[in-house]
Parts: sequence; C-alpha cells; structure tokens
Amino acid sequence: MTDNAIDAVDLAYSYGDVRAVDGVSFSVAPGEILGFLGPNGAGKSTTIKMLTGQLTPQAGTVRILGMDQRRQREQIQARIGVCFEEKNLYESMSGKENLRFYASLFGIRNPDTDTLLRRVGLADRGKDRVAKYSKGMRQRLMMARTLVNSPDVLFLDEPTDGLDPVSAQSIRNLIRQEAERGAAVLLTTHDMHEADELSDRVAFINEGRLYTVDTPENLKLEYGQRSVKVRVRAGDGVEERTVALDDAAAGDTLKAAVASAGLMTIHTEEATLEHIFIEMTGRGLGG
Amino acid sequence: MSRPVSRATVVTAIVRKDLAEYASDRLWAFLTVMVLVVVIGMFWILPDNVNETITVGVSGLDQPGALADLEASEEGLVAVPFASADDLRAVVAGDADAWTVDGETVVVDRGSDASAPAGAEQADVSIGLAFPPDFIQSAAAGQTTQATVYVDAAVPDEIKGAMSSLVREIAFAVVGEDFPVDTTSPTEVFVVLGEDRVGNQASARDAFRPIFVFLILMMELFVMASLIAKEIQERTVTAVLVTPATVGDVLAAKGITGALSGLVQAVIVLVAIDSLSPHPVLILTLMLLGSVLISGTAMIVGSTGKDFMSTLFYGMAYMIPLLIPAFAALFPGTASAWVQVLPSYPLVRGLVDVTTYGAGWSETLPELAALFAWCVGLFGLGWIVLRRKVQTL
Repeated sequence: MTDNAIDAVDLAYSYGDVRAVDGVSFSVAPGEILGFLGPNGAGKSTTIKMLTGQLTPQAGTVRILGMDQRRQREQIQARIGVCFEEKNLYESMSGKENLRFYASLFGIRNPDTDTLLRRVGLADRGKDRVAKYSKGMRQRLMMARTLVNSPDVLFLDEPTDGLDPVSAQSIRNLIRQEAERGAAVLLTTHDMHEADELSDRVAFINEGRLYTVDTPENLKLEYGQRSVKVRVRAGDGVEERTVALDDAAAGDTLKAAVASAGLMTIHTEEATLEHIFIEMTGRGLGG
Repeated sequence: MSRPVSRATVVTAIVRKDLAEYASDRLWAFLTVMVLVVVIGMFWILPDNVNETITVGVSGLDQPGALADLEASEEGLVAVPFASADDLRAVVAGDADAWTVDGETVVVDRGSDASAPAGAEQADVSIGLAFPPDFIQSAAAGQTTQATVYVDAAVPDEIKGAMSSLVREIAFAVVGEDFPVDTTSPTEVFVVLGEDRVGNQASARDAFRPIFVFLILMMELFVMASLIAKEIQERTVTAVLVTPATVGDVLAAKGITGALSGLVQAVIVLVAIDSLSPHPVLILTLMLLGSVLISGTAMIVGSTGKDFMSTLFYGMAYMIPLLIPAFAALFPGTASAWVQVLPSYPLVRGLVDVTTYGAGWSETLPELAALFAWCVGLFGLGWIVLRRKVQTL
C-alpha cells in the first residue's frame, strides 16, 4: 500500500492490432500536479480512460487513493473529478442545472453551485442555458462541474483550451488551489508553458510508451544548455554573446557584461519542455 | 471516506434529468401535445356504431305481413317492396333510383326529368329478390318454383351465395313449413375459420384505437431515440460514467424514462377516449409492456442514429413493421401468420380483445405472455446495443 493518489503500473491497452498504451507506469502524490504531455494519438486519452474507469486495462493495474480500479470502481468514482477536452455539457439545461445534476449523481442534495460558479467566473450566468454560452464559458463550466464533489483526484484534459489569457490564468489559479487543498492533479495540455508553470513533474508519452517522468527543472538541467546569452549595445548596433557556464572564465565575462554601460539583456539558455520532448522522442507535440 | 451513493439515487437523478430535458425540448414537447390532441380529437370524430343492415328489394311477395316476416327472419335485413320485377332489376342495375315514402316504393329512372317525391328516403338497394306470382301457392303445395336473385356486380360472392339461402328461408317464413330441399344437393354448412365476429363487428373508433395508441408509442420512440442519440453524439454520457453512475444505471434510467413517458401519455389518451374499461389494470399492464417494448426499440434506434435525420430515418424503419398489426386490426378477420409474429402483434391483439370485446386476464394471457417475451427480447437487445455503443465512445 502506498500513499500515492494515483498508481499506474504497467498499463497496456490495444485497439485491435494498434498498441495504444504499452507498459505505462507512474504515480501522482496527493497535492501534486503531474503534467501528462504527448502529441495526439500518443496514448494520453487511453491512459486517462483506464485511470478513470472508462476502459478496463488489458494489462497492468490502476490504484486510485489506494483502491483497485477494477474492484472498487464506484468508491473511486465518488472521489475523482474529470474535465474532458470535449465540451460534453447538457446544452438545453442551465449552468446551475448541469451542476445540480452532476452533484445528484454523487448523492449531493444541495450543492453550493453559486460558489462553484463564482470560482470559475460564471456567477452571473448560472441561470442561462449552456447553449447560449461561449466556448470559454463552457470550458469554465466544465471545470466547475469537475469540482462539484470536491474530488481528491483531478483528471484535467486541456482545461484551458479555448480560453482567453485572463480566463486561462484564473483556471490555472484554480488548479493550484485544488493542489494546495491536497488534490492530486493529472493535467494533459498542449501548452508547454502551462505545463511548465503548473506541473510539479511532467510525464512524456509517445506511441503508447512513457519516456520520462521528472520535474521540469531536472529535465531542463539534463537536456538544456548551461549557457547565458548576453546582449550589449555596441556603437549603433547590438552585440550578442553566449557565455558557457562551464567555462572557467564565465564569471569574469559575466561580471564585465553587468558592469558594462551598454548591457541590454542577459538570458539563460534554458531548454523548453517542447525541445526536450522532441529531443527525447524525435517527434513534436503538435501532432 | 465518502458514503457510496445508492443505485436508486443515481437512476432517479438521471430519470429526472431526462424528463426535464424532454420537457424543455420545444419541438418534442409541441409534437407530443399535438399528437395527444389530434389522437383524442380523431377518436371522438369517428363513428362509434356499425352499419350492418342489408337492404333487399323484393317483388312478387304480396301476402300481408310477408315482408315483416322476411325482415324478422334475418338480423339487419331491411326489405323494400317493389311493384314489379322489372323495376327491381332496373334499380339493382343502377338504371333507376328507389325512393320509399309511407311504405310505398317509387322508382324513378335516372335518365328522366322526374324528381324524388317529397319526404321520400332513398333506398340503397343492391340486391333484389323477384318472386313469381304463384310462389306462395307453389311453395305451399310443395312444388318446385323459381325465384330470381338480382345482385349488383360489386356485391361479394359470399353475399350472392347467402341470397340463395335467404330465398329458402323466405319460403319457410312465408309458408310456415320446411321448403322442399333436394337431398342430392349438399347441405349448406358455414364453417367460420378464426374469430367469428358476425353481429359483433368493431366500430371505426374501436378499429382505430390500436393505431391511436401506437401513434403515442411512436412519439415515445422518437423522443427516447432522440434523447439517447443526443447523449451519445454530445458525449454527455461519458461525463456521467466517470461519476458513481454505471452503464447499467444509465440504461435503467433510459428504460424507465421511456416506459414512464409512454405509459403516462397512453393513459392520458385512454382516459380521454374512455377506453380504460372494463379492465383498467389489464389495459395499463398491456400499455406498460408496450412502452417497455418501444423503449428497447428506442435504445437500438438511438444507438444507431448519428444525427437528428438519421435517428428519424431509423426510427421510421423500426416503427413501420411495428405499426402493421395496428393497421391489420382495421380489417375484419384473422391476421396473416407473418403479422402475428411481429413484436407489436400481441399488444394490438390484447388491446382489441380487452377494449373492444371485453376480454379479461385469462383470455388475454397468451398475448401478455408473448408481449412479455418480446419485451425481454427487444429491451435486452436494446440494452446490449446501447451498452456497446457507450463503452466504445
């Protein structure tokens, strides 16, 4: 028995001859956000379907909050929240009615829909039919629905997809709040900056196989360049220099640059998660 | 640790949601109310009696009371006296019209300018019996005599044959003793195959009742199929299935919603058309089974349809065969064997037997058993098809 909120061990699933997930293992601790990254068709959705009980793994085991997904499905479902990429809301019902219905499936009689709607910025639109909502509003209602049972484990599939920058940031804050509350979060996103910003650790999946699970910092240190790029004004132009941090003279070079009156910018040459993913898998995240 | 939610709570929540969705869908809500109003209105417009009279023109029977005896000899027979066989022949042939006034018959040639007498009623004579002037004397003496039967070409062969028998009966009624019958001729024996509804025919209201009920069930099929198809197409069902709700809960809820909406509408119609007697519990049982049957079909249709139009198309494709027994009930006689094997046949047959002919539980038991078997089969098939569809989303 572990204290992990999610334990996936050697998960495998095939659609006919196509191996969608092949021996995937990882864990997520309570209060941790794990960014689950991979291109379309990498096996993310199939993995999440197995974790959330929508698919039964053909091999391997899933334990959520210490419970076996095969044998304790109902107890698990009562304590998880899933935010789908597709906006699968009841369009003919209002935002409040959607939340009330999902709450009733958890046996919650009087859900605090007002608070939920306020948290996602829909306090004044709760009585409107979902059919009248914009794409961003639907996404925010999806997030509110995910939180209707105060879940201990959150599965979030592209939760900020289609949102304007301000709304996206409010959703990210919400995710952080949930993690601070103690909820484990499995987050899939195509937005590498978002993954970098939110995730305590990231997992790279491609062609059904998991390549790595580590903190973004460790990955950047391992795969990024230990160098700094310095830009100084030189006459009418701009001079750009790259300083290798492993070079013995790096300290003096940087001191001189900082002291220089023409210093414009100093940037670390940190690798992005996308670069690391491409380097590891030989494939981009876009497709 | 949160307490597990009960199955009943989950199913009830989904049923309430489905009913709310149904009620909020303006198109289906409008169509449902419209069909209810139309069905109830049409029922009361239709005649509730059956015209089983045969008007026969008679010439040559001048004995007082002979026509009254003739009418008394056969239920539904109306005898119209004619002065001559030629008049009778002309009327049956359609060359002249017969009008009755004060017990007298006036024949007016269709080609003439003469109009119908004041206060006269037209007699619809399509059969004529012309007796010879010495018919009564010959019959009384036991001598062979000849009567002529005129029939319109449109009169069915069965009626033509029946007229021969009627002549013999008339002879008996007039003479008061058995008419000499040639013993070498085969004695006429009527063998009624299937149900003998002679004198007990269904009125138009009774005949149309199964169709009306099926219109209601058809609405249930389309509404349920539409709700299911929408739930699948918009993937809302996948969001439901990551809660404590199981596939079984969703299917049970759909079945209950369908059966409930179908049953409630059918009861409204049956009450409005005064058709819940004489065995209300039996009729409600039949309707409940019918609703379950349709719910199972709706699950299949809803799983197959990819959009509104295809759901409508598949709905029609499944509904038409189910409607056939209801249309077959419009016509007298026993339904063909292939109609009897259709899933909806026991429902229609049961409804007709109970509402029109007052059959009780024991008489309807075979239909109930067959309908129950079909319900289990179709609902089970619908369950399997929908479960597969949901699991592959």
